[in-house]
Amino acid sequence: MRSDREITMIQLGSVVSSSIIGVGILPLPLFAVRAGGAGAPLVAMLGSMIGFAGIWLLVALGKRFPRETFVQYSQSIVGKWPAAVGSLLIIVYFTVLTAFGAREFGEVVITSVLKNTPVEVTVIVMLLLTAVSCRQDLTAFAYIQYFYLPVILVPAWLIVILSLKNADFINLLPLWGNEPQGIWRGGLSIANLFQTSFVISCIIPAMKHPNKALIPCVWGTVLAGAMYVAIVAAAVGVFGAEEIRLLLWPTLELAKTTSLPANVLERMDAAFLSIWVTAVFTTLHCSYTLTVVSMADLFKLKDYRALPIFLLPLVFMLAMQPQSIVQMYTTIHFIGQLGLLLTIGYPAVLLLIALARGKRSDGVDRKSLEKNGLPDLPASD
Amino acid sequence: MASAKLTNRLDDTLQDLDRELGKNSDFKVRRFRVFGRYPAAMLHFSNINDQELINTNILKALMYLPPHLPETDRTSEQLKSAILQDALYHSESKFEREMSAVVVALLRGDTAVVVDGLDEALLIGTRQIDKRGIDQPATEQVIRGPREGFIEPLATNIALIRYRLPTKSLRVETLVLGERSHSQIAVCYLEDVASPKLVSEVKKRLSNIRLPAILDTGYLEQYIEDNNISPFPQVQYTERPDKVVANLLEGRVAILADGSPLALVVPTVFNQFYQTVEDYTERFLLMSAIRLARLVALIFSLIFSSLYVAIISYNPELIPTEFAVAVAGGRAGVPFPAIVEVLVMEITMEVLREATIRLPQQVGGALSIVGVLVIGQAAVAAGFASPITVVIIALTTIGSFATPAYNAALALRLLRFPIIVMAGVFGLYGIVIGLILIVNHLLSLKSFGVPYLSPLVPGNFNGMKDLLIRAPLFSMKKRPAFLYPRDATRRSSASVSALKEPPSDVLSPANNRENDPPKEPLP
Amino acid sequence: MTGNRWRRTACRIFPLLISFPLLGGCWDRLELEERAVILGVAVDDAESGPAEEGDVTHMPDFEPAPEQPMYRLTVQIALPGRIPLGPGGGGGGGGGTSKPSETVWIVGVTGHTIDDAMMNLQQKLSAPLFLGHLRVIVVSEKIARRGFSNLNDYLRRNPEVRRMAWMMISAGKAEEVIRTHPPLERVPTMYVISTLDNAARTGKFPQTFAGMFWSNSSKKGQEGVLPYVRLKEEQTLEIAGLAMFRSDRMVASSSPLQIAAYMGIKHINPGGYRGIVQIGGDSLTIYSTHRSSKIRVRIRDGQPAFTVDIGIEANVEEKSNESVSLSNETILRELEKIGGQSTQELYQGLVEKTQQYGSDIFGFGEYVRAKKPGFWNAQVKTKEKWQRMYKEASIDVNLKIHIRRIGMKAE
Repeated sequence: MRSDREITMIQLGSVVSSSIIGVGILPLPLFAVRAGGAGAPLVAMLGSMIGFAGIWLLVALGKRFPRETFVQYSQSIVGKWPAAVGSLLIIVYFTVLTAFGAREFGEVVITSVLKNTPVEVTVIVMLLLTAVSCRQDLTAFAYIQYFYLPVILVPAWLIVILSLKNADFINLLPLWGNEPQGIWRGGLSIANLFQTSFVISCIIPAMKHPNKALIPCVWGTVLAGAMYVAIVAAAVGVFGAEEIRLLLWPTLELAKTTSLPANVLERMDAAFLSIWVTAVFTTLHCSYTLTVVSMADLFKLKDYRALPIFLLPLVFMLAMQPQSIVQMYTTIHFIGQLGLLLTIGYPAVLLLIALARGKRSDGVDRKSLEKNGLPDLPASD
Repeated sequence: MASAKLTNRLDDTLQDLDRELGKNSDFKVRRFRVFGRYPAAMLHFSNINDQELINTNILKALMYLPPHLPETDRTSEQLKSAILQDALYHSESKFEREMSAVVVALLRGDTAVVVDGLDEALLIGTRQIDKRGIDQPATEQVIRGPREGFIEPLATNIALIRYRLPTKSLRVETLVLGERSHSQIAVCYLEDVASPKLVSEVKKRLSNIRLPAILDTGYLEQYIEDNNISPFPQVQYTERPDKVVANLLEGRVAILADGSPLALVVPTVFNQFYQTVEDYTERFLLMSAIRLARLVALIFSLIFSSLYVAIISYNPELIPTEFAVAVAGGRAGVPFPAIVEVLVMEITMEVLREATIRLPQQVGGALSIVGVLVIGQAAVAAGFASPITVVIIALTTIGSFATPAYNAALALRLLRFPIIVMAGVFGLYGIVIGLILIVNHLLSLKSFGVPYLSPLVPGNFNGMKDLLIRAPLFSMKKRPAFLYPRDATRRSSASVSALKEPPSDVLSPANNRENDPPKEPLP
Repeated sequence: MTGNRWRRTACRIFPLLISFPLLGGCWDRLELEERAVILGVAVDDAESGPAEEGDVTHMPDFEPAPEQPMYRLTVQIALPGRIPLGPGGGGGGGGGTSKPSETVWIVGVTGHTIDDAMMNLQQKLSAPLFLGHLRVIVVSEKIARRGFSNLNDYLRRNPEVRRMAWMMISAGKAEEVIRTHPPLERVPTMYVISTLDNAARTGKFPQTFAGMFWSNSSKKGQEGVLPYVRLKEEQTLEIAGLAMFRSDRMVASSSPLQIAAYMGIKHINPGGYRGIVQIGGDSLTIYSTHRSSKIRVRIRDGQPAFTVDIGIEANVEEKSNESVSLSNETILRELEKIGGQSTQELYQGLVEKTQQYGSDIFGFGEYVRAKKPGFWNAQVKTKEKWQRMYKEASIDVNLKIHIRRIGMKAE
């Protein structure tokens, strides 16, 4: 069931990128502007950097334990039971993230395109699509993420470029915004959107060369971060910070203002939203795969193909919990901030302990260990 | 029965064979005397033999004792050697003891000669089946490229390949499949190119086939492909020998079957279905553009009608206002929702297309004109469909004709219908969900372990030179990496460096100025 | 092999699950021709009072928001059957007729709020209203001067409405603009759109779509502008100037020529206006082809001070008599000088007018916010404060005209 360790560096990079770019890009300029006003692009950049810190931690851990997943190596670092609690939290967290991702997109679709369709239907369709795709092995997972990356990037950049003609540079000044004190908190809330990249903790051990994971991760983050900054900058440039405060999904509104040259499509919001299904799908696919694979690791299941379908009703019920769109966003934001502790704080603690106790996985690549000059201790238990 | 051996008594043998085959009126037994003294009989099925050859090279040669042999009594061994080595003028002949083997050989068109006193029958290859001439490939026409296509007999087809590839590393391995048809199946590959694992896997999959008869390579395809329920073909078929040879040179394996004019090529990836031979024979820039156009047509045929449904029924704000108002005008009299209209028209189109294929060519042309022009026009006039729907349907249909591979076009034609339904239920959102399902399926599909969308996924940038565009031949130095060929280099770098040298302008005015034009003799 | 069994079970469950949505299906399917495609809306205040209104969105004893007037909406709905498909249509086409008055249906309705009016309209119509192709929103000056956040809120909240729709203020009743049926276009709204689109293309008017108006109005240091139109004789629509706003209320309108000044200061190209210059007993028409402007901001004595440098490229288009020859350069220099002076007066006139009403349609405040954030944070911060400060700000306009070409005639 597990793949044959053939995931390449490019595929890892695309996993990072397409896991980050998801439904969160629709309200992204709003969050950034709320925190930083005209300095919103700076907020997005800061958020990307915080997000990358989490990714870097996972890569560093992945290097020390090149053939183990997060669930496995956390056990050898902090012991079986504490690690099990941590892993369980991670699993629960990403289940919730999957559910809310699907719900958020469902709400967008219901509000803007399919007004009479029950939200349950759009959510269940999205979740079914994800669950069915999660039944495949990690190689197919990487293929899917890799294939869809251009499908995500091209339309988003297209909108950024086409909206340039309506943009007014003065809206972006001053670069740090008029109220710079909000930037840090804003950066943290943007960093929420980077958490799905936690999936690399399962992907790195399935790579051909787990030791070369850092460079693709950097590229992946840069690609996604640049996309974020560009979208925020385009939205602020076109609308101005004050108008964005009034728009629930400024990115969608940006697509609405953009028309293809020669009036082929007069407005692109519905078209963009449809293509964005792919981006949402890849993100959900990542978080759900992470849930499923981690669960399989935790309970030592050999075959996880049945899990996605089994968990589906639970995820669906979670997704249906928020009662209104405002409550949904408040919950997403709150949970996301707590999640940062889990996706950045917890790996950081693990890495520190691993460094302090000199833990590494045994076997596979002693050579690179010797090169690094670190004491080569056999892993206990 | 299978282990039954021949006896040395002629009459017993004839009786046995008559019991096995005698009920057939075309089974002929001709008694004669070998060298004028040993009673013998010649047996054959008269319709599948070369009668001329039998008369002169078998009957005549065996009836008379060769002049250089003494006229003595011979032991059975001596008689055998005399027949084989001195008398018979035919290369393909051997002695056989097994009754069943003799029967099979007779059924395949060989002639058997049974001599009294010998416990073996002489089998002579006299098979001659009428075959059609080598013709232009009917389904894969090209403007620039060879005009030969495979025909039914395996021997001719192998000849067509060998003639293009007279190299010692071309291996043609045959096996016999089909419990009743005893069809010869040939597996062709280049030994120093194709991956040995691939070759043995192909042979393994083929040898597992248990079928009464192999009537076409299509039967084989369904038993060797990786995913049987996928609508997408995972094996390519072709009737062009040059295409087979090109594939062999890339490291693929070809499978031919006796009686089928279509060779199978494995493993197959998706991009092969929109490539044609001409892509490589014509100039690369033009063919790259045409290949892109073909790809657009392919995508058209899949999603164009569903896009129309989604935009008309769900998102009319996307199209320009003037056009939207006009479309609404065109649709005003149509009583059905767009999805019903499109589905009905698409199904009508499929019926028309099927009808045109089955009819003789002369009638088919007339029918397609009637179908397209008259029915389309009448449907609009009757208020049954809107003019724009007719345009959309025509575009998708033409788009599906532009795909070179019939089986791939078929898959996309079929998949169009669920996508139209999805578009009718969820609009653009539904189309994308449908496309994601299809693409995810494509991404998980494999042909002999090769990911179906190679070389796009899993990213091989060298291979992408031949994916959307066709790079110049000299720049494609490597064979496709996903086939893991034994010899990865396609051509030596010497030819490339020769190409890169500045061409010598032998006839340019600059080089020819010194030696003035030779004094032409005046007439 | 348990995995295989699960797989089979799942394979069986999956089609079932996927068929659920299909069975319910088609919640939102609504054919294009079944929608009442609204092309244009006119918003007036209702004069006749609530008598003709049914209680669609509220109980009879509903008390509207304080000082909320009744609205009268006039909408233009496309009649699908009446608009022939394809170009021309002049031939013997069957049911299609291209007389503009017959291609659309114009319906009026009143209501306490915009949505109330819309629902009253829906109550009268068979087909569901569709705002996806709403291209023209005409608001009467009376409503605009009273403030129309209600309309803006409704339009912004509705996902169907496009931000690229033209919104305009009409001098008289907005209903009359919507009711025009000029013979140039098959659909009347299209005529209004093309009037404004062409004006924008030829440099007669800036592109001020509804969305741009909204974002400019939202900005703390800028106010929105909208086209100010007036219906003239023979069903023509005149662009009579700019409607200037302060927050969501229209405060003033400009003259048509002042549009050129607005576009000059905002650096909007191409130039499209002509100006007549009196020189030596001759009056020459010069035609601006390109405008450039540079706005600089300084803080002087605790007040923002702006310097606007404007350069205009122009050609000579017409001479009224032959008393001046254009063949020597000095006369062109003089022309530049005289023309520049009168143009500068025009520009200053507009700037003063906006200052008088406290309506910073140029976005000078945005320059302060962007370039002098320290001053902005300390002194301004809110829109209201900027509106007050703008009245006192010093704005210098320096303008230069460069005459480049004189046409095909040599002198």
